[in-house]
Amino acid sequence: MTLIELIREDVVKVPLKSKTKHDAFRELLEVLKNAGKISNSEVVFHAIIERDDQLSTAIENGIALPHAKTTEVDRLVLAVGISPAGIECSSHDGELSHIFFLLLAPPDQSGPHIEALSEISRATKSSAFRRLLLASQSADEIVELFCDE
Amino acid sequence: MSNIIERVLVYLDGSEESIIAAQYAVSLCRTLNSQLYGTFIVNTHALNDLVKSRIFIESEQKEYQRDLEEDADKYLRNFEEIAVDKGVAPECIKESGLVHIKLKEMVRSFNIDLLVIGELSRIRSRRDEFYNESERAMRNVPCSVLIVKDEERTENIYESME
Repeated sequence: MTLIELIREDVVKVPLKSKTKHDAFRELLEVLKNAGKISNSEVVFHAIIERDDQLSTAIENGIALPHAKTTEVDRLVLAVGISPAGIECSSHDGELSHIFFLLLAPPDQSGPHIEALSEISRATKSSAFRRLLLASQSADEIVELFCDE
Repeated sequence: MSNIIERVLVYLDGSEESIIAAQYAVSLCRTLNSQLYGTFIVNTHALNDLVKSRIFIESEQKEYQRDLEEDADKYLRNFEEIAVDKGVAPECIKESGLVHIKLKEMVRSFNIDLLVIGELSRIRSRRDEFYNESERAMRNVPCSVLIVKDEERTENIYESME
């Protein structure tokens, strides 16, 4: 499964309204719930927080990659959110996080989970691509960017 | 003239497409009396990259590595059953590393005549083209490559083999 197959307009939120890390995670989980991808967002929230507490999933260059394995999904699920103002997430480089990719995988799909995280990591290494994502005004634009990239 | 396809390697990645490719490779080897090899490559390269980028923590790396190893064993067992069911004795190879590089090495070391891979997913971005491991293997291996399409026909061929 390629990244573009996971990114649809209904799982993208632009802009994120949240001001804190936990609120941003909840906002993205709400997006997934509304898209019919998950039913119990509270269980998933705790799985994500549990992982994030071990080492912040906010990496570098404004990217955050909260992720977890959960039985709440039966296939790989992704939500994307853009916060133009940025959110303090204890990132590895100390910068605010602007671009969020929240990824959930069922416990028996480690291979696709790794591939999706690798693909996000590779795609967001480009500063030009990150700038374009951050400048996006709508979910459609985000989806188009991934198709064009 | 000797058999022009003496050794066939099929690449398994756990996808439905790779299982169809395995069925095709079994049918082909049975018909041509060729030696069949099947491989599953644990993509430790991607795993190591995630650790280096600090996307994964050490405990995740261990957990995912174990999961991938178990997947490899499971898919190779399944492949063996698919082959043995049709009277073909395959050689199963579990490898780890970067998929397209490992396939290239295997083709050379086993003198593979034909690499069989499952249908490629549709290219929807330039990134797909650059990073899809089957796509990269197809372009890089020194032998001929067969991409198996038409799932229904392949299954019919496989099932019709006594």
